[in-house]
Amino acid sequence: MKKLLSLSAALALAAGAFAQGVDPKLFLNPPKDSWLNYHGDYTGQRHSKLTGITQENVTSLKQLWRFQGTQQIKASPILADGIIYLTIPDVIWAIDARTGKELWSYRNPPNPAFHIGHRGAAVYKNTVYLTTPDCHLIALDGKTGKVKWNVAIVDSTRGFWSTNSPLIVRNHVMVGVAGDFDNVPGILKSFDADTGELQWTFYSTPPPGVSDPPSGGATGGQMWNTGTYDPELNLVYVGTGNPTPVLNGPARPGDNPWTCSIVAINPDTGKLAWGFQVSPHDTHDWDAAEVPVLVDAEVNGQPRKLVMQASRNGYFFVLDRTNGKNILTKPFAAVNWAKEIDALGRPIPDPAKEPSRDGVLVAPNEAGATNYRPPSFDQKTNLFIVSAQDGYGIYFFKPEHGAYGWAGADYNLAGKSSIRAIDWRTGKIVWDHPIGDGAGTAGVLTTASGLTFTGDNPGNVMALRTSDGTTLWRENIGRVGNAPITYELDGQQVLVVGAGNSLIAFAVPKN
Amino acid sequence: MKKTIWILSLVWAAMGFLIAQAPNTQTPTTKAPVPQVKAGGKQSPAAIDRPKTVTEQTYAPAQIEAGKSLFSAQCGFCHGRDSAGGERGPDLTRSKLVAEDVRGDKLAPLIRAGSGEMPDFKLNDADMGAIVAFIHDQKTKFETLVGARRNVEPADLRTGNAMDGKRFFEGAGNCIACHSPTGNLAGIASKFQGLALMQRFLNPPRTQRPKVIVTPAGGKALAGTLTSQDEWTLVIQDASGTPQTFDKKVISFKIDNPHDAHFDLLSKYTDKDMHDIYAYLETLK
Repeated sequence: MKKLLSLSAALALAAGAFAQGVDPKLFLNPPKDSWLNYHGDYTGQRHSKLTGITQENVTSLKQLWRFQGTQQIKASPILADGIIYLTIPDVIWAIDARTGKELWSYRNPPNPAFHIGHRGAAVYKNTVYLTTPDCHLIALDGKTGKVKWNVAIVDSTRGFWSTNSPLIVRNHVMVGVAGDFDNVPGILKSFDADTGELQWTFYSTPPPGVSDPPSGGATGGQMWNTGTYDPELNLVYVGTGNPTPVLNGPARPGDNPWTCSIVAINPDTGKLAWGFQVSPHDTHDWDAAEVPVLVDAEVNGQPRKLVMQASRNGYFFVLDRTNGKNILTKPFAAVNWAKEIDALGRPIPDPAKEPSRDGVLVAPNEAGATNYRPPSFDQKTNLFIVSAQDGYGIYFFKPEHGAYGWAGADYNLAGKSSIRAIDWRTGKIVWDHPIGDGAGTAGVLTTASGLTFTGDNPGNVMALRTSDGTTLWRENIGRVGNAPITYELDGQQVLVVGAGNSLIAFAVPKN
Repeated sequence: MKKTIWILSLVWAAMGFLIAQAPNTQTPTTKAPVPQVKAGGKQSPAAIDRPKTVTEQTYAPAQIEAGKSLFSAQCGFCHGRDSAGGERGPDLTRSKLVAEDVRGDKLAPLIRAGSGEMPDFKLNDADMGAIVAFIHDQKTKFETLVGARRNVEPADLRTGNAMDGKRFFEGAGNCIACHSPTGNLAGIASKFQGLALMQRFLNPPRTQRPKVIVTPAGGKALAGTLTSQDEWTLVIQDASGTPQTFDKKVISFKIDNPHDAHFDLLSKYTDKDMHDIYAYLETLK
């Protein structure tokens, strides 16, 4: 803690005069009246220290306000300076956090890029950032919505789109893109937060024209989810997506680094510090884009800097985040695709479960054992809590499918979902709270009062007791499409949840 | 000469970069006109119709090969080494000019004169011809790429053994508990073929509601069908069709969902079992 404070002080000095709006040093120790980035802080734990909503008073939560959007909310709201920023593809709304009323909105011009969803905005000083399906990064004035600048991240007509909630470290706005219907390289770019000038590009798979590419001919590995950051190590942790061609494994022999990996990158240079492949040679579309959660804890009595991920491939990983060395690999959902865990801690795919002409039955299915919806970590109980699915699918590939884009076919069959609490020290499932058939859509938020906020498939927002998964409160408000956030404003703890097309604020009424 | 052009294009690219990334500009960057999306390929933003080549042309493989390395060195920095666009230059496989060009009649003058941000390239006729050949060949290649999900044919699925499938059906799978080849599965292979048949036995559509028996505390057992349930409540339709809602805390209940057996089998089938059952079901015409 001391270290963190001295670091903040040093940064404040380096930054000179206290800037208006969200000073980037605030990210290191976020104030309780804000939710400054996708995770609420740099660790990705999605854990709030607030204790205003308790296990006792949670049953009296009442709606404070409701903001009506225009389609399913799949983003995490961002809160800074009393304004909530909410996104769907091509649209950002600025909403008054006290009333739920729209202050301004911005709409990107119509474009034919893939409109699959949007994960959220990002803030820095007085600027708010929006990525668009057609792969632009737009900087807007946080108070007025006036466009400050607009740059193309990549050329979206090559097969890219963006849903990304950028990660901001100092003046680096790091943005990822998506795209696996075309053989395009995995790209993460950093732009100057003030000017929009490109600072660096990190390729998880090499661009065309690299002779003898280390990826073994694979493209893809898109970094479409928001990374996390360790200020002491000055490393950003990002999950990378699946390789392309997606289901055609023979076209790209070998492990295909750095697809389906957790990579550690220097935010000043874009240089790779280390990488760990959670799915070497993936042939099932299991992006490892899930949040790499940073935890400081003891392993065998020694304090360690850890990074944890519950991955779409069904395995839970604990790594040493200084060097990427594996500490634990355990399945947390139904899996049948790996024949062993190798000496490095990587599940090694069983060739018999690669997509085939006549089809193979595989767990998880393409929707994954989990997906973009964020997990949460509760240090007090040692629980990593994640929306999990035991799912099955069939996967096909034949040479006639070619080696471009999807290059195969797969179909989800069935799945059952739960909110699952994993003891990170052993990988053991401590409790399992069923949420219905098919894949879940809600992420998880935990608070220091021992509460876990999430949603189920019939459309309830719920508060569970973190220690055992028992339901303490629920309200049917529609499918929760990301994870709730929480903050304290005017002395009152507020819970904000995106469900269906709406953003809804709950609080325990003041007496 | 090649080296000079390469350096020139680097300098130009760097200048272009500075202009395009000029700080604090209030003007959004210009966007290309919105192209039409091809039906069936909607998921890919790259599945946009290319302008059709007006005059079909063929080029010698050696000339295309020569053009490939020339293009990569001199044009690839901006247009991408595959000519399908880079970070600075447009995708030439979608260029109207390329579509209308016949053996360089439109491309060569433009490449030699330069255009807008593009510098002029002083190429000899052989090199120009090779580059033009490569560009046309790339356009043809990109037109044939399909990145979307692909087909599965019934013949692809026929790798199983029908006799083994019958054995599984009657034995390990215990399918006969609910199904009969002469009863509810008679003629199934005439109604469903290929992938549809396979998906159907792995995860059949839920046409029947689960049966449920509810026993309220100290009350009489009541039979019905399940309408919905969550963690707290159970909603059923009783024998008369009347909906009834119960608080799960004050009842005991038993749900008989025939679908559960199908889900449970998903974790038990080997791939051989799956193909054997398919083969067996295909005999039930």
